[in-house]
Amino acid sequence: MRHRHPRWTAIAAAVTALTLTATACGADEPADSGGPVTLTMSAWSLKTTPEFQKLAEAFQAQNPEVKVEFKEYDAANYDTQLTADLAAGSAPDLYVLKNLKNFITYQSGEQLLDVSDVAGGLGNDVNGLGNYKVDGVTYAVPYRQDSWYLYYNKDLFTAAGVTPPSETWTWAEYEKASADLTAALKAAGSPAKAAYQHTWQSTVQGLALAQTSGADLGSGDYGYLAPYYKRALEQQKAGAQVDYGTATTNTLQYQAQFGTQQAAMMLMGSWYVATLIAQQKKGDAQAFQWGFAPAPQTDAGAKDKPVTFGDPTGIGINAAIDEGKVAAAKKFLTFAAGEGAATALASIGITPATLTEPVVKAYFGVEGVPGDELSKFAFTTHDTRAENPVSPQTAALQNILQETHSAIMSESTPVDDALRQAGERARSEVLESK
Amino acid sequence: MSTTTAGGPPRTGAGRTKRGHRALRSLQGVSFVLPNFLGFGLLTLGPVVALFYISFTNWNVFGTAKWIGLDNFTRLLKDASFHTALLNTLYYSAFHIPLTLAVSLGLALLLNRKLRGVAFFRTAAFFPYITSIVAIAIAWNLLFSRDAGPVNQVLGLFGVDDPPGWTASSDWAMPAVIIVGVWREMGYYMLLFLAGLQTVPPELHEAARIDGASAWQRFRNVTLPCLRPTTFFVTVMLTIGSFKVFDLILVMTNGGPGQSTLVLSQYIYQKGLVENRFGYASAISVVLFALCMVVTVVQFAVNRRRNA
Repeated sequence: MRHRHPRWTAIAAAVTALTLTATACGADEPADSGGPVTLTMSAWSLKTTPEFQKLAEAFQAQNPEVKVEFKEYDAANYDTQLTADLAAGSAPDLYVLKNLKNFITYQSGEQLLDVSDVAGGLGNDVNGLGNYKVDGVTYAVPYRQDSWYLYYNKDLFTAAGVTPPSETWTWAEYEKASADLTAALKAAGSPAKAAYQHTWQSTVQGLALAQTSGADLGSGDYGYLAPYYKRALEQQKAGAQVDYGTATTNTLQYQAQFGTQQAAMMLMGSWYVATLIAQQKKGDAQAFQWGFAPAPQTDAGAKDKPVTFGDPTGIGINAAIDEGKVAAAKKFLTFAAGEGAATALASIGITPATLTEPVVKAYFGVEGVPGDELSKFAFTTHDTRAENPVSPQTAALQNILQETHSAIMSESTPVDDALRQAGERARSEVLESK
Repeated sequence: MSTTTAGGPPRTGAGRTKRGHRALRSLQGVSFVLPNFLGFGLLTLGPVVALFYISFTNWNVFGTAKWIGLDNFTRLLKDASFHTALLNTLYYSAFHIPLTLAVSLGLALLLNRKLRGVAFFRTAAFFPYITSIVAIAIAWNLLFSRDAGPVNQVLGLFGVDDPPGWTASSDWAMPAVIIVGVWREMGYYMLLFLAGLQTVPPELHEAARIDGASAWQRFRNVTLPCLRPTTFFVTVMLTIGSFKVFDLILVMTNGGPGQSTLVLSQYIYQKGLVENRFGYASAISVVLFALCMVVTVVQFAVNRRRNA
């Protein structure tokens, strides 16, 4: 009995020690009051995503009293990890809203600070800002606003003798060019197709939602997708693009398809500009002349502002931030959405939310960015609608539409049947059950 | 753990020492399992208990979970996607379990003889199990490619004019996934069967042979009965594994095309981690848990009756 005590106490001591160390790790640093402030901010893949460092450097150059430190997350599991940190109260002061789909989760979960005053001071030049407004209150500001363009391979167009895209291209012109390209490339014995359509649902649904008047994701009526799907199916049937089944079973990469000249045209987001430049420099992509044009429009009337789609990337303030840091955090947000940050971001090939003259100049000053008039027009002139309109139901509806996309594109279900089923499912599983 | 009971019989010196020894022994035992139990309690038991509670709530991770009683479960009854996922899970299991059982037993019987290079073949059969699932998905998707895939090319040699689209077709995606599932796991269960086969007494085979039993009769009446404990274990593990199949489907078809390969665990993932509806996702998990539980209990009952 006697020699039991020492061991028991030893175990207890060990356990206590372990617990203490564990809690010590989780202890918060005391808040700074006045003087230098350190803000923490979420980020992902810092080594390959220079935009965060760029933002912080540009901000600190103007505000030396504020230090921005990063908390790095895994890019693929960003939202899951950030959600866990927010729920545990260990998330950084500022966090990036990687996509619009999850913004509502943070907003409705009361994890975002009201930044209406910041938004009010930004003016009307910031693209995508309105997406972060819920019931009159703004919860985040965008620092980049990507848009979808039509990338085209100038060399392949020239070789095929087909007129390249223009500012006013309509879908009819796109189809005509696609048919001409297919015939000419085939005749020349080229393995390239007229276009590559990636396997994502956005490639069809994003433009359909943006360009069709009256289209509403939350209506449960998906008839607006029909013409876009019928066109996509016709294109793959005609051999103008690799069919969906081949793209999925061969795990095709869009970067390789366009970068190694397997396709003369490709609809893709503006982020691909920087990727393609980097890949051409490294040799991962072949050397060829390319440019980007506005996405094809339903009619030539949309000339003044071609309609396209894309979600902004925003920054919000953690609702649990220390009082003493709020002013500095708001200063950072004002900077991130403004011209200063935009110019810095544009200089590394990123499409910022603010597109003023100096920003455009900085963007086209980047080595490798196509400097032709059409690319400049596409970069500066567009009406970019959200791919994921902010609503608590968007994530669930997009899941249904993702399944619809694979059913249609694999030709498992006829377009009209699939869209009708999607509407029924949306109503019974999402819209009416709330 | 409590060894000192108040109001017990008067203790003699000898009794106290004995009891002291026993207490010490059990304490030592407890201290050995404690680290493991702490981990288990913290990372498995706790979350599982919480899961049952969360399944009766509406919770989006932030703030407190709102108690909504049986709402999640009544909704499941009407949820067509849940029904699809449930049926697909049963479809997968109905083929995956017997096929894997048959193939792994066949492989084990084949590789239980004295063959040249038997160690090599055993290792080769085990390879799929230790290969990265993502690599498997990419490679098999390529093999299954409709026009240029080797699988369809071989089918073409046998005169199949209109070969299936496999993972790109809603009718053939599930068979494709089942084939890969069987291929991936056969090596592991083969190993278990090989171990089981070592316990079959050779003298029984010898006696049967002297009695004039054919190879098939010896297999039916000697090998299979002796393997029963292994077969039972393999069946239970396979059943649970099939019901909760996730990674293979996620990386091979992501539930598509359409909902043709959507299974329960993927539906849980979708509702929980993609749509942040943790209450509803937990309710589906409870159903999956109940399904595994019921089937396993039935299997145990059947096994006991057979052994009796």
